Order: sequence, then structure tokens, then C-alpha cells
Amino acid sequence: MSESTEERQEEGHQDGDEDATREHRDEEQSEESQDGGGGEEQQDAIEFIDVTKAFGRNVILNGLNLGIPENQISMILGPSGTGKSVCINHMVGLLYPDEGDVLVHGESVPGMADDDLFEMRKKFGVLFQDGALFGSMNVFDNVAFPLRQHTDKGEDEVGEIVSLRLKEVGLGAAGDRMPNELSGGMRKRAGFARALVLEPDIVLFDEPDSGLDPVRTALLCELIMEIHEENGGAYVVITHDIMSARRVAEYIAILWKGKIVESGPADELFNSDNQFVRQFLAGEAQGPLGME
Amino acid sequence: MRTWLVDKPRDGIAAVGEMAKFFGTVLGEVFGGRVFRFFGEALRQCGVLILGSTLVIWTLTFILGLTCGIEGAYFFRSVGAPAYSGVFTAWCNLRELTPYAFGYMLSAKVGTGLVAEIGAMRITDEVDALEVMGISSMTFLCGTRLLAAFLVFPVMYVGALGAGFFGSYLAVVQQIAEVSSGGFFLIFWMFQNPVDLIFSTIKGYMMAIVVVLVGLYYGYTAGGGPVGVGTATAKSMVLNLVAVHLIGAMGTQVFWGASPRAPIGG
Repeated sequence: MSESTEERQEEGHQDGDEDATREHRDEEQSEESQDGGGGEEQQDAIEFIDVTKAFGRNVILNGLNLGIPENQISMILGPSGTGKSVCINHMVGLLYPDEGDVLVHGESVPGMADDDLFEMRKKFGVLFQDGALFGSMNVFDNVAFPLRQHTDKGEDEVGEIVSLRLKEVGLGAAGDRMPNELSGGMRKRAGFARALVLEPDIVLFDEPDSGLDPVRTALLCELIMEIHEENGGAYVVITHDIMSARRVAEYIAILWKGKIVESGPADELFNSDNQFVRQFLAGEAQGPLGME
Repeated sequence: MRTWLVDKPRDGIAAVGEMAKFFGTVLGEVFGGRVFRFFGEALRQCGVLILGSTLVIWTLTFILGLTCGIEGAYFFRSVGAPAYSGVFTAWCNLRELTPYAFGYMLSAKVGTGLVAEIGAMRITDEVDALEVMGISSMTFLCGTRLLAAFLVFPVMYVGALGAGFFGSYLAVVQQIAEVSSGGFFLIFWMFQNPVDLIFSTIKGYMMAIVVVLVGLYYGYTAGGGPVGVGTATAKSMVLNLVAVHLIGAMGTQVFWGASPRAPIGG
């Protein structure tokens, strides 16, 4: 985690949680300097720097500072309507901040020309809420689509890769089915296979658990962990499901009212002293978060 | 009061500006050559247009050609000049009926189809999915469809004219049969020439391209869930019908307003 982002994040924290956050950041920094040797820190995969975004009078992100670490499964948690999906859209340049900057591997996304932006997006795999499979193609062609568009691989090789990815997500026999013939969970898994097919450095999951029963949510979480273990990279999961967070997250950032309330390694956040974080992660009715 | 005097006109002008900008961008994708990166997709869209729309348009113009032939034949019989039935079929089919039928049918089938297809892709995140895969959705979805329209419509239009003429021939010469085949064709060809065919094709082609651009615009900018897509589809249909009539009227004025090319009375 870069020092500059941390400083900004700490500035953005709400009163009362600064000490706890600073403490775990210090620990993290000391661990990183031990691991990295020579005190060199690993650059964040994605950084939000003082990002503000409003739609009309509705301010969604309000001076957001956030760093998404490399090679970890990070989760952005927060109540509904707090700007989590807007964060994802900023990461891939589908939305631009009104103020501030978004960096992907150190490069400013809002400052990119169109061609550079399309090139940068090849680093990403995105799993949308409902899979966003192309309705005019079967599952096989959906997963093969990025390979056919961005690589010179022959059909045999494409077929091998797609079959492998479909098997990984448990859809080996569903390649010739159309998206409208799949259940919600199958569509998500097919979307996951498509997101992984170009072996991206960063994979984003927009509420992968929405609309799934608890068992299928657990299975999808396991799948995310297995594939991350195999492929590595920065995985970012947007959710408000605490069970998923407990299962999957290595790093957690909690978003509320357009700002990060607290962020850090998952274990530490689950033991946080911050009232909001405790309430949210315990799913309690009493606390600073109400129905408003 | 202020809404009607200031806000509505201002919003209308802004919407026209947005649309013009969109049209310019899509045309730029085609004429700038970027769309040829997805030439395979453009060819697929050509296939969709040919298989999905050609037969229905040709059938429609054939039936209209039959109607035109019958009306013309009975009218000229009533004034004692049945041999001149070819005048009506030549003008009616070539100058007005086929271009309008082409425009109407494309508005109803291709235009609304584009809005529904791309609009549905927009609200189910498929357009965003394309973008995050590093593929320009404007080029892939809009550019390829416009290129397909450029490639397919001239052939489709000339075929539609042929279907209309054939329908008129059948009605006048075979069904009503008050004029011989040779007599019909003498007058039929006397009242048109290759320039008229080019003008007619330009007229129908302009209608078709505008219909496609409007369909692409309303589909690509659709929002607000299924209701939003439905509203966008309806708006595109209304605008397309208005545009078809404007282009039709302007085409007739410009191409035949000053010189009707009617060899009557020497």
C-alpha cells in the first residue's frame, strides 16, 4: 500500500477510528518492509485519490481515498446505495471523477486517451451483477469472445482455453446453451469464466452474491478463492454480504457516505473498535447506521 | 409559462445537438475506417439484415406494385387511355411508393429492432461488458450496423423496386390485360430513365440510413430499465416516420420538382 494513499485515507477517516486504523497501517507497513526487503513497498493495483462524484445534487463519492493492494482478494463493503458499484465503474473508466484521480498500476484513468483506455481495460476482468452475457451468443461463444477479439489464437486453441475455463466454473457441459437457458448462478459463473479468459491482472466482482441462495453463494466464494490461488492478481469484490466477506476477504474497505470509514486486513477489521464497522460487520440494528 | 417558452425549446435544441453529435461519431467510425477492425461482425449484421428484412420488404413492395398497377390501369381505362397504364406504374413505384414503403418498413422492422436490441444490451450491462473488455461499444455495436446498412440497402432497395415493377406488370398486363406487354413497356420506359433510378435510390437510401442512425441513437442512449427501452423504441418510430416523410418530400422537390421528365404533349 503506497504511503501517499494511506496518508490521504487517514485524513478521510471519520473521527474516532483514526487511531485504530493508523495502528494496523503501521503494522502492515512494518510487515511489508520486512517482506519486501530494502523497505520497498509494493504499489497498489488501484488507487482512488480524493475522488468526488455526484449525479446531479446527489453526491455519491465524497473525497474517497482508497488503495487496492496487489495479489489479494479485497472487498469493498458498505450499505446499499453508498457508491460501491460507482467505485468499480471508476476503476475501469466507465465513469470519471468530478474531482480527484483514479490510478491503475500508477496510471491515471481519467487522463487516458480512448485508445490507451481500451488497452488498459484489457488488464481487467469484470463480473457484472447478472453476468452481462451477450444474449445473442451461447455460453461458449461468450467466453471465447475476448480471445477472438484480442488474440491471434486459432479456433482449436480458443476451444481448449474456453473448455478449461468452463470446466473450472462447473459449466463444462453448458457451452452450447444460450444465456436465457441458464439459472442466475450459472450466468454468474459463465460471466466469471469470461472475466478470467484473458488472464487479467485485476478481476472485479460486482455483488457476485446478489440473488443467490446461501449455499450457492458459499460455492461461488470458494470458486473465487480457488481461482485466485491459481492465477493470483488483485481481486476486488463489491458486496454487502458479511458472510461472503468472512469467507473470502483478505483486505477489507468499508465505504459509507462516499468515504472509506476504515480499511485494512480482514482480521483486523473484524476486530475493529470503530462503532460503524462493528455494527456493519455484526449486522446489528443498534449503532450509527440507521434506515436513512 | 417559462417551461414552454424557455426550457422546452432549450431541451429540444440540446437533444438535436446530442443526436447530431452521435450521428457524426458513428459516421466517423465508418468513414474513419475503425469499423473495419470488426469487419466480421459487420458481415454478420449484413446477414441479419438480408435474412431478416429483405423478403418482407420485397413482399410489401410487390403487393404495393400490384395495387399501383390496378389503380393505374382502371384510372387510364376510365379516361379512354388504357395503354398509358405504364405511366402510373413507372412514376408511382419508382418515385414515391417504393421509397416510402422502404422507409416505413425499415422504421418498423430495422429501426425499432435496433433500439430494442441495443437498448436491452444497455440495460443488462452488455454494453458496459464490451467496454471493459477493451472493445469500443460505439464501433462494435453502432459502426458495424451502419456499415452493414451501407452495404446491404442499395441492393435491397433496387430489388424492392424490381418487386414493385413486377407486381404492377402482373396486374396491368396479366390480370386486367387491356394492354399488351410491348405496349405497357413502351410507355413504362418512356416515363423514366436511368437518372430517375439513381434519384429514387438516393431517396430510399437516405431514408434507410437516417432510420438506422435514429435506431442506433435511441438504442445506445436508452436507460431507465425495460420501460425506458420501450419509450425509446416508440420515440424512434415517431421520429423515423417524420424523417421518412421529410426526406420523401424533399427528394421529390429536389429531383423532380423542376423537371418532372414527363414526355407529354411533345
